[in-house]
Amino acid sequence: MSASGAVVTSVAVGFVQVLVIGIGGLLLVGLMRKVRSHLEGRVGPPIHQPMLDLRKLFTKERVRPDHASWIFPAGPVVLVATVVLLAAISPLLTIHPPIKHGADFFVVVFVLLIGSVVLALAALDPGTPFGGMGASRAMTIAALTEPALLVAILALSIPARTSDLSSLVRIGLIHPQLIASPGRILALGAFVVVILAESGRLPIDNPSTHLELTMIHEAMVLEYAGSDLALVTLGEAMRLSFLVALLVNLFAPWGVATRPGAPALVIGLVALAGKVALTGMAIATFEVFTAKLRLFRVPELLAGGFVLAVFASLTALVVR
Amino acid sequence: MSGPVFSGSLELAAGVVLVCAAVTLWRRSLNAIVKTLAIQGLALGAVALVLGIHQHDGGLIAVACFVAVAKGAAIPTLLRRVVRSDPTSREAAPLINVPASLVGAGALTLFAFATTAPVTTLLPTTAGRLIPIGFATLLIGFFAMTVRRKAVSQIVGLLLVDNGIALIAFLATSGVPLIIELGVSLDVLLVVVVLRVLATQMGSRFGGFDLDQLRELHD
Amino acid sequence: MLAIVVLILPIAAGAASAVLAWRRSVSWFGTATSGAVLITGVILAVQVVHGRPVVALDGALRVDALSAFMVIVIGVIALLATWQSVRYLSAEIDAGRCSQRHAALYGVLVQAFLASMLLAVVAANLGVLWVAIEATTIATTFLVGHRRTRNSLEASWKYITICSVGIALAFLGTVLFYLAALHVGGHAHASLDWTALIAVSHHLDPGVVRLAMALLVLGYGTKVGLAPMHSWLPDAHSQAPAPVSALMSGVLLTVAFYALLRFKAIADGALGPTFPRALLVTVGLLSLVIAASLLLTQRDYKRMLAYHSVEHMGLIALGAAAGSSLAIAAVLLHILGHGLAKGVLFLASGEILLSEGTSEIDQIKALLVRRPALGGIFGFGLLALLGLPPFSLFVSELNMLRAEVQVGLGWAAAISLVCMAVIFGAVMSHGRHLLLGSAGGQRVHKTPGIVTVPLIGGLVGCAFLGVIAWPMQSLLQAAAHVVAI
Repeated sequence: MSASGAVVTSVAVGFVQVLVIGIGGLLLVGLMRKVRSHLEGRVGPPIHQPMLDLRKLFTKERVRPDHASWIFPAGPVVLVATVVLLAAISPLLTIHPPIKHGADFFVVVFVLLIGSVVLALAALDPGTPFGGMGASRAMTIAALTEPALLVAILALSIPARTSDLSSLVRIGLIHPQLIASPGRILALGAFVVVILAESGRLPIDNPSTHLELTMIHEAMVLEYAGSDLALVTLGEAMRLSFLVALLVNLFAPWGVATRPGAPALVIGLVALAGKVALTGMAIATFEVFTAKLRLFRVPELLAGGFVLAVFASLTALVVR
Repeated sequence: MSGPVFSGSLELAAGVVLVCAAVTLWRRSLNAIVKTLAIQGLALGAVALVLGIHQHDGGLIAVACFVAVAKGAAIPTLLRRVVRSDPTSREAAPLINVPASLVGAGALTLFAFATTAPVTTLLPTTAGRLIPIGFATLLIGFFAMTVRRKAVSQIVGLLLVDNGIALIAFLATSGVPLIIELGVSLDVLLVVVVLRVLATQMGSRFGGFDLDQLRELHD
Repeated sequence: MLAIVVLILPIAAGAASAVLAWRRSVSWFGTATSGAVLITGVILAVQVVHGRPVVALDGALRVDALSAFMVIVIGVIALLATWQSVRYLSAEIDAGRCSQRHAALYGVLVQAFLASMLLAVVAANLGVLWVAIEATTIATTFLVGHRRTRNSLEASWKYITICSVGIALAFLGTVLFYLAALHVGGHAHASLDWTALIAVSHHLDPGVVRLAMALLVLGYGTKVGLAPMHSWLPDAHSQAPAPVSALMSGVLLTVAFYALLRFKAIADGALGPTFPRALLVTVGLLSLVIAASLLLTQRDYKRMLAYHSVEHMGLIALGAAAGSSLAIAAVLLHILGHGLAKGVLFLASGEILLSEGTSEIDQIKALLVRRPALGGIFGFGLLALLGLPPFSLFVSELNMLRAEVQVGLGWAAAISLVCMAVIFGAVMSHGRHLLLGSAGGQRVHKTPGIVTVPLIGGLVGCAFLGVIAWPMQSLLQAAAHVVAI
């Protein structure tokens, strides 16, 4: 394959991944809502409801607070942009992503953090009380999840001697027995806690609450309307699907395309969709049976995740 | 037992022991803590069982069953009776709050791995490399004894120390001579019986199980 | 055979206590068995001093010179304590503080306590030694809490939690020694038998032995009462009934130290004397300094005696750190002398508590005037403990200091002298307050002979040992030779 042909293929793959994460994210949110509704004994909205909501929001009038600066509209845009970037370069459908060795795990973590921080700043911008409260709560949680996440990444990187995502996924494919090692299981526990915290799901944050006492993420985006809100919703959905896709690819990488070519990509897509859907349904079921933790108990859960990550790293160091 | 199955199951059982130790610092309900201790006892028995099967040592397998019964069933049952008679069976306010204790547990684990280097260099086998886990459990048990306020929590800390030492004994030497092992387990059982009696007396005499009330003797 | 007899005697007495209801005669039987233990110890000592160690039960029990000496120590103090127990228990029953069943339980537990200590010193296997010392902890917990008051309950809780942790650490140290031995000879030849370990001590892995020795000093050191693991000692020894305090302070601490001496001998072979010496010097000096600083402010005379035990254990640790033949012989003499003097003092303090009803120093005055015999015994006991001649503690302390200077621990000896001077002052001032003063016209009470005779006997024995070396000389030297460098 010629060099330009390779570039075109890479760009195409990246584009496809972004589309998959975007549309898949909305569908995932809808699927999780459907599962929750069924478990709660209701019929619930259709699975493509989030897409309909998004279309509705784009047609609505954009309202901005008087004292907001340029940061306020920039928040949603940056949020979406970060996830789009990460979706394009990460090994989701194939382990040969567009930019070779571009998707380092630490890069992923910090780019996601950029999105969270800018959103928090945008929430502080208009000077409303809810925005400030939501931003401070969100940053407290972020301050506790980041160390846990970094140490958990360390646990995965030590046996592979690299933190490059494609290599991690490839090693998972080549040595399946590593998957069941206790270090990986502990790391999985830590990652699940972190993902629940980063995407604002129960038991850390209730995505459907609007009570002052319990809002974290919702408080930050309370002031948005119209296309701003549409972008925020899209960004959150994409974050969730991206994180879940990363989780399944690291811990259950079967089905990921290892060879270039359309058929392999299609298989990869189907496998990814299936795994993400299953994980999403598991998370939704878990949410039905969990109550939201009181805010001052959240650090305990996150500290527990941190300790699990520390144990995972130590076992990875020792048991080689 | 084949190599990877042996090492995998041994690592898994040892990992469960360590995670249970951390979970006792995490949970507040005394019932949950006692249940976690029971799981840890069973995991400890599993470690001995795996070692016994791998080395075709019948004595070790017998000890494994005894340990699983004693630490996984008998001792938690004794403790549960004390918990049931305590009206406030929650560790409401430990001296160090839960997130800090959990981070402390992580730090103690690191310390354990660092200080037991001479033992692991002496024994670079699969079992030997897991010895630091026993030390970590021991240190976490110490920590739990010093920062907890309830009598039952202190007993749990003491049992964690004992479980950590038993884990080290199994991994390092595949068990000390049988009779010593039995003597040790019986001693631990007796200690728990004694502690249970004392705790019950404390409950009736002090009207509660809060160790904060034990403040009369000091300099 | 004799070794087994030593163990059977207290077991028989305990069984008698369990089966029969409490009667004075049953209690006196217990005293008689302790006397028999002492006699057996003397016979064993005579046998092993010039001959080979006595072995029994197919090598499970082994009595060498050191063990025989410890049996004598246990026998002597057990005799004194069980003698006083009769009076203590009958007084408690008469006062209604104790039921007959409770007294029987006390009898059983004391005999079980004695049996475990004897097992610890005659066991050939270090694992059995551990089990025996753990058994002493279990037996004494209920003895400490015998009076069922809030304070004694608190004391027994602290005692068992702290000592169980210490014992657990000691077990870990024992396991690590076993691990090191495994690596020398493999499963077939590894064992926890002391003589076997001594034989291979030069081949043991130094790193593991270092870790093991540190754990053992921490672990058994808790039972010895060395700082910083001593916090259970003042509470337990002050709240326990007086005969139990005498036994615990006089013997149990030193039986745990005996275990340390056995392990130290192995560690010296594996590592050379430097590291074990450093460990023992550290805990010894720390104990001395802490005891000295806390003795100044004591208000309870039983706690004062308990802290004094911490000081003496620190001195013993320093002596053992020196490690030479002279040092260990002095340590062993100190163990016997301290046991006698401390035992007498605790028993006397029990009698004082019985007659005065309080254990605060401030509330008792002019004891020497009001109860001359008791006050005299207490006073002479304090003098004995402070290391004044003619009591044997003077000789042993002097020799320990000499030995420490000889091996280069002169600086440690100097610090210990300073601490001893501080303690001297503190104890003298407390004792002066207790004993001297004007009685304000109160009657002079006479203490019954059954109480004073054994106590005076103990003090005379202590003085005798300090003046005439002959009976113990060869035994001490033989015993020291077993574990000295």
